[in-house]
Amino acid sequence: MKLRAIGIQRFLQVSSGLIILGLLVEIVSLVWFHPLAFVLFAFVGAMLIGLGIVVYLASLVLAVSAPAENRG
Amino acid sequence: MTGATGILVALIVLTIVLAAVFLLRTSITVGITGKILAFVALCILPALCIDAGMSMHMQRSEQTKFCISCHSMENYGKSLYVDDPKAIPAQHFQNHRVPPDMACYACHTDYTIYGPMKDKLKGITRIYLQYVSTPPNPITIPGGFKNAQCLHCHAGARSFEENPVHAAIMSSLTSNQLSCVSSGCHDTVHSASEVDHLKMWRPGQ
Repeated sequence: MKLRAIGIQRFLQVSSGLIILGLLVEIVSLVWFHPLAFVLFAFVGAMLIGLGIVVYLASLVLAVSAPAENRG
Repeated sequence: MTGATGILVALIVLTIVLAAVFLLRTSITVGITGKILAFVALCILPALCIDAGMSMHMQRSEQTKFCISCHSMENYGKSLYVDDPKAIPAQHFQNHRVPPDMACYACHTDYTIYGPMKDKLKGITRIYLQYVSTPPNPITIPGGFKNAQCLHCHAGARSFEENPVHAAIMSSLTSNQLSCVSSGCHDTVHSASEVDHLKMWRPGQ
């Protein structure tokens, strides 16, 4: 149980890190007025943020599935 | 930075601060309040930032200055200032027949539900040509310039419909059998290759 808890915390840290990185890229893309700014936003910023959200949601699924494993 | 961009940047900074809390102190999620806050900070707000960012970038790409910020589009931008009453883009731009800050978009967008998205995808193809491959010279519109883009504004306009020349060929115009710009009627368009040798209009002079 302790190991699983540490795993979820690690998931949250990775998720936060990815989201912060993606949001910083988004700020750069907003202040940079250039056609490549959209490419930077869509293919780097949004991807990092999206991945961060997926990692967070994955942590929720793991947290919920833990008791079921114990029952089995 | 415009007001809308400022609000979005403030939202992004708020999200970064909240996400940083979970990066540094994951133990907050032990309580129910922490769990709710994590859901907001790591799911709702980031998703909102992606959506608002996409919307902001889509709006920004409708601006004339955005289109001509690409090197290969510079002469097309200059051609909007050509002092020639027959030059169709220049006349539309200079006389505000299209919004001057969205001049390119007004005449070149695909006026359908997913038109702006299709334009954006075409734009990404052009970015690829600009930075990875070689941009075509001269630049052409795939499939040609469609009359629908002219008729989006001109259809139903009194001066357009009552013009005897237009009235006689209206069905050919609406079916795109006869082009507005390449059938010998309104064929002076951007003249990008010779724009440096043409007389230019200088606003305010």
